[in-house]
Amino acid sequence: MINLEGKRILVTGASSGIGKVFSEQAASSGASLILWGRNQERLAETFNSLEGSGHEYQAFDMTNYALAEQHILKAVADGRKINGFVHSAGIERTTPLKASTPEVFKEIFEINVFAAFEIARLLSRKSIVDPAGASFIFLSSVKGKLGDPGKVAYCSSKSALLAGVKAMALELAGKKIRCNCVLPGIVNTPMTEKLFESVPPDAKQKIIEGHPLGLGSPEDVSNLICFLISDQAGWITGSEYIIDGGYSA
Amino acid sequence: MKKNEFVEQLSEYCEFENKGFNLDTQFKSIEGYDSLALMSIIAFVDEKFSMKLTALQLRELKDFKSLISLIGSDKFEND
Repeated sequence: MINLEGKRILVTGASSGIGKVFSEQAASSGASLILWGRNQERLAETFNSLEGSGHEYQAFDMTNYALAEQHILKAVADGRKINGFVHSAGIERTTPLKASTPEVFKEIFEINVFAAFEIARLLSRKSIVDPAGASFIFLSSVKGKLGDPGKVAYCSSKSALLAGVKAMALELAGKKIRCNCVLPGIVNTPMTEKLFESVPPDAKQKIIEGHPLGLGSPEDVSNLICFLISDQAGWITGSEYIIDGGYSA
Repeated sequence: MKKNEFVEQLSEYCEFENKGFNLDTQFKSIEGYDSLALMSIIAFVDEKFSMKLTALQLRELKDFKSLISLIGSDKFEND
């Protein structure tokens, strides 16, 4: 098992899916977690399922950046710095180009891209980040590399995230902050259930068959994030990790 | 929106080649009725009625009339 003793990690989208499973796995490995999500009830469920101590959670809309900053400042007020960030929050929409107005792009980019970079910006301050180093992980998607009908806004948001993280990795290397992207294929999560509701049954079957190793589980992706967060990945930054059961092969 | 206007606007939105559809026109008989058309119908209904249909629901529909029933006839003006 990966050792995450001494890690203090902020996780967005912690109330479900990959964010939830990662939080539970990281807590079991010794990390203390700061959980962010919108749904108070489900976030509390994740919080209550964590092993160990020193965890906290805040249910709020993280695109309220002033409030996000307040929560971060409060979290480090006792002198404990943050040395991990996992941006697992994200939204997916199946919207044909003809319906993809700037408003649709803004809604998707707000969570998938702008929130990711804004929270990273806040966390990377000297007064907040652990001077010994930190690891920031961003959940992009294999769709950030591949196209898909009805996904112009979603694919471009995940691609923008990927490109931005590479630039961020170079900029933050001097502060010993490593920045990496994880690009999952289709994973069995609540977001995937919504995705499958929006596509025809034959398209759903095609997606499933497109994954030679079958659809992934949140645990499959969480294992990779745990490694990238850990000190064992100390020489890895600016990288992208496709984990998709062979979908893009 | 009247039901006939709905048929006309939806057909325009989906860019179906032929014209002159009516409430009884079978979706499967329409040239260009494919998975992208399904996505377009979902987007159109969401935009006009703030209602999120699933592809599975649409798959069960035969014609414009059944789509209107699914949305709710009360949401349309009388013709």
